[in-house]
Amino acid sequence: MNSAYRTYAAKRLVQAVVVILLAYVFTFVVVSILPGDPITNVLRNPQNGFTEDQIREIIAAQGLDRPVLVQLWSSFSSFLVGDLGLSMRSHRPVATLIAEVLPSTLILAFAGLVVALLLAVVIAYGTRFLPKRFGQGLLRGFPSLFLSVPNFVIGLVLIHLFGFQLGVFRVIEPDSFWATLFAAIALGIPISAQIAEVLIANLDHEAGQEYAAVARSRGLGKARLFAKHLLKPSSLPVVTVIALTIGELLGGSLITETVFGRTGIGSLVQRSVSTQDLPVLQAVVSLAAVVFVVVNLIADLTYPLLDPRVKLLGTPERRPATADEGSSTISQAVTS
Amino acid sequence: MTLASSYSTAPATNWLTALRVPPSVALSLAIIVLAIAWSLAPGLFTSHDPVNGVPAHKLLGPSLQYWFGTDHLGRDLYTRVVYGTASSVSSAMIAVLIGVIAGGFIGLLAGFLGGWVDTVLARLVDVLLAIPKFLLAVIVVTAIGFDTTNAAIATGVSAVAVFARVMRSEVIKTRQATFVEASFLLGGSRWHILWRHVLPNASRSVLPLAVLHFGDSILVIASLAFLGYGDPPPASDWGLLISIGKDYLKWPWLVYAPAFVTIATVLSVNRISRWLRKTD
Amino acid sequence: MTDRFFSFSLSRRRLLTATSALAFAALVATAGVSPAHSADGGDITFLIDSLGDTWIPNNSAISSFQGHIWGHVTDKLLYVDADGKVSPWIAERWEQNDKATEFTLHLKSGVTFSDGTSLDASAVVANLDIWYAGRKKEGINPIGLFPKTYDHAEAVDATTVKVFFKKPTLGFIPTLGYHGSILISPKTLAQPATDQADLSKTFGSGPYVVDSWKEGDFVKLVKRKDYNWGPAAVGQTGPAHLDSITYKLVSEQSLRVASVQSGQADVAYNASPQELVSLQDEGFTIATPRYLGFVNGLAINTKLPPYDDVKVRQALQAGINRQEIIDTVYTPDWKLATSFIQSNVPGATDHSDLLAYNPEKSEKLLDEAGWVKGADGIRTKDGKELSLTLHSNPYLATSKSIDELISQQLGKIGWKVNIQAYDVVTYGEKVKYGGPAVPAYEVTRSFIDAGTVAGILTNANNGENWFALDERDQTINDLRDKIASAGSVEIRAPLLDELQKYVLEQGYFIPRTQIVQRIYAQSPKVTGVTYNGVAYASYYTATKSE
Repeated sequence: MNSAYRTYAAKRLVQAVVVILLAYVFTFVVVSILPGDPITNVLRNPQNGFTEDQIREIIAAQGLDRPVLVQLWSSFSSFLVGDLGLSMRSHRPVATLIAEVLPSTLILAFAGLVVALLLAVVIAYGTRFLPKRFGQGLLRGFPSLFLSVPNFVIGLVLIHLFGFQLGVFRVIEPDSFWATLFAAIALGIPISAQIAEVLIANLDHEAGQEYAAVARSRGLGKARLFAKHLLKPSSLPVVTVIALTIGELLGGSLITETVFGRTGIGSLVQRSVSTQDLPVLQAVVSLAAVVFVVVNLIADLTYPLLDPRVKLLGTPERRPATADEGSSTISQAVTS
Repeated sequence: MTLASSYSTAPATNWLTALRVPPSVALSLAIIVLAIAWSLAPGLFTSHDPVNGVPAHKLLGPSLQYWFGTDHLGRDLYTRVVYGTASSVSSAMIAVLIGVIAGGFIGLLAGFLGGWVDTVLARLVDVLLAIPKFLLAVIVVTAIGFDTTNAAIATGVSAVAVFARVMRSEVIKTRQATFVEASFLLGGSRWHILWRHVLPNASRSVLPLAVLHFGDSILVIASLAFLGYGDPPPASDWGLLISIGKDYLKWPWLVYAPAFVTIATVLSVNRISRWLRKTD
Repeated sequence: MTDRFFSFSLSRRRLLTATSALAFAALVATAGVSPAHSADGGDITFLIDSLGDTWIPNNSAISSFQGHIWGHVTDKLLYVDADGKVSPWIAERWEQNDKATEFTLHLKSGVTFSDGTSLDASAVVANLDIWYAGRKKEGINPIGLFPKTYDHAEAVDATTVKVFFKKPTLGFIPTLGYHGSILISPKTLAQPATDQADLSKTFGSGPYVVDSWKEGDFVKLVKRKDYNWGPAAVGQTGPAHLDSITYKLVSEQSLRVASVQSGQADVAYNASPQELVSLQDEGFTIATPRYLGFVNGLAINTKLPPYDDVKVRQALQAGINRQEIIDTVYTPDWKLATSFIQSNVPGATDHSDLLAYNPEKSEKLLDEAGWVKGADGIRTKDGKELSLTLHSNPYLATSKSIDELISQQLGKIGWKVNIQAYDVVTYGEKVKYGGPAVPAYEVTRSFIDAGTVAGILTNANNGENWFALDERDQTINDLRDKIASAGSVEIRAPLLDELQKYVLEQGYFIPRTQIVQRIYAQSPKVTGVTYNGVAYASYYTATKSE
């Protein structure tokens, strides 16, 4: 490992930390635009019968009338030492709240990713090897269709059909196996489209390559050909896309959890948003940023080690900007 | 690296062959034209009132009189969908415009000026990219208040980073192109070069991305409306209609009809953008 | 793989049948021994749309969601039934001095909190103190509706508490039966706010204790076996029958109802009124208890033109078809408003005649007031449109639908109605009684004692000034003072009647319907549920048959 690499690694690391800290501040600034906070909201509920004077007094007692910058600094300085603070809504430590719901979201996200990968492989395989009369061309339209259906609609349809009509799962037990599976399907379908498009583009590309022709002439079975020669080389860019879909998985879980009634990060965000629970929102955004930055950091730091041709640039340009440039952009970006 | 590659490699297709529109594209175009017509003159397509219903006719199934059935207040659902089109389509337009203009401007500045401007803007874009797009949209719409225009703004903000990135790399690519270097050597002013060479070239790859984002924005805004971050009733944005419908699962057309219209529209937009890219 | 899962679910179902058969056999067996507890046992699942924000008792949503849990985990000093009748509970009897500034409460002895602490006079004093003052620096709020005239309380002996007020406070006794006045162990109260926010560290003296909970997910309560101090008014003082109650958060209304329909849960809270009819047809029990309080309606801002004109207000009163609201948005389970307070409140009188739908009268009044109908059907006067902005109340699910319907009704008469629906946060910021852009404030408010109305009429004595009258209306001022100083219910009753008539005639308050803020759709297997004065379902007396 040479010194140039070490400098590069150090620089990337610093950038990553800066991005995470900025994400924290960014959330504070954005959420502080609107007046109001969870504590005032509770006090203002007409059923509680507080007078305006009482409300002002309580707000002052908790330091919520301090200048915004003072509040930002006090929360930022504790964030620097790893203290996520207390939820303004529930008065419980933010770290506890997140720890409670994180496993559920991780399970859903992982299951969603597995569903997405399986679907993507099936679609990609189908477009290559399914006979024309069985709708090979139709399969090519699937990714486009999947990208056009809002995932809450998929969720509602699945719940309606399998939860109520067929009784496959109990809707009020969203953490059961079947309920999780259907939630994962709702989450995974739009993401499978993006992966499938990359796979299809790569398969098309690789299939045109010489070695595929050679393999075919040697009489390899279609399935083996697909698995051995085509899927493997195609999967490198797919790995990059998967890394980039992490954000999508988290964003998608926001809706999927709401539709399926799961208690996870998404529903925590929903509850925090509706009450402007700033500390929780800051923590979740920072957490998402950490995940994104770490995954990309790993990719950036391993590329130069794997491929000596990759130049050590300040901001590597070879990875695609993000998954949501549109899936076809990604496929082109990855293949080019 | 990005879409530009498809332009350099795409053969200059004959205009006549381009006109030979595949049937699926023709259908897509028809759907989009219909959606635009719905949003411009909804009154031409329905004789019912989108806000005032006939309370006695509540929750009726689809029929000749009520094509998509009626809702819990006896309003014609088809009419509500038609009248909701304008807001659904125009909010997606706003989102795309914000993404293109703000993102494009940031990317242009960063790519063209370089140096510390680039470094600072790159960090800003990194922050925006690091936050999942939908989470970002939810937080922004919370901050500026719940209504459809704000949901559109939030959706646009969440797309800024993507456009900024693409614009920046396109600008850098164009700047390094031989003809721009030549123009520099010939003593062309910076702004002249920016205006005449860099912008037109870079925007060629941004525009198809914008079309694609239009469909995506419809979905994101519908999702925000579904979660209750859009206009309140009696507005009839598609996402809101689906969201209201989910409370009446016994009368499934309340979900399926607006969902079908949404899917058809987004699918058509995606099909058209795909076709445009191939024939361009 | 699929096969395995199917067989698994099948065998589980069989297992369930077997256990319930066993349970039933056990029930039959015990039935012979002690007929009084023939239906003991059973678990119910209650699907609820929210579990509130925080579990700090004082800050929690006692008035809406968490009140369900507190109602089973804690007791109150007094019990108030659905008709507003006050009866003993933890306080066996009470006295007051002539000026209503000193009260003496005599407590039941032998009552304990589930952490072992005894519920004695000092525990009651600790509760009264924190209800009044909270611990604001720590983020523990006072109980908003607790009398602000409280001075202090002292424990005379283990079962006697003396409470002192700075001013006459007749409302103190009924307040003790209100949903906010829940008795919590003094050990819990001494804990810092973050510990109070953890429900498993909070202890009450109620018939159920918290078994487990997860934020935003569920709360499971189990029966307390040594409970022996229930309110006599519900006809039971011993332990509860049901073994456990699980409150499960399901935010989608349709999912709650469908789950109960398919037998996956026992009770669905806040079902859509539309679905109630079909649920009833399918044999489910529908409960729409009314709380004691104001009806759902509009408090008119009399400072804001054109609502400073009594004719316009009266036109509004006559221009709303309340029967159509019930027919369209609700079901026959809802009752027409007969006054601006719910008809089950002691002291409420019937003024239905003032609330009849009469569009002709409404049009005539507007004509007289100078509002002329234009070509577009909207009335104008001096170039200004006759407009009304309705801010849909985010605390009532049906509010938006009603506003939309009222907009249609008033539209025919010549009103231009704008509907503004804010989320809870923005609503709290922007919509206030008498606000400059708020011609009508939608009221949903419960109370225990009809005397509360004196506090909302004007701005005197920190009054809420609902109609922005300040002290401009002498009739209202007189009635307010007489009601506030009335020494007995008999003296107060005719005054209240006069006030109700006057407020409705003047169009200060435009009732919509009697309010049902809590709707329960429940499996027919669950019986014996009681509903108290704030319309909470108590499963303390309930049983479940298999």
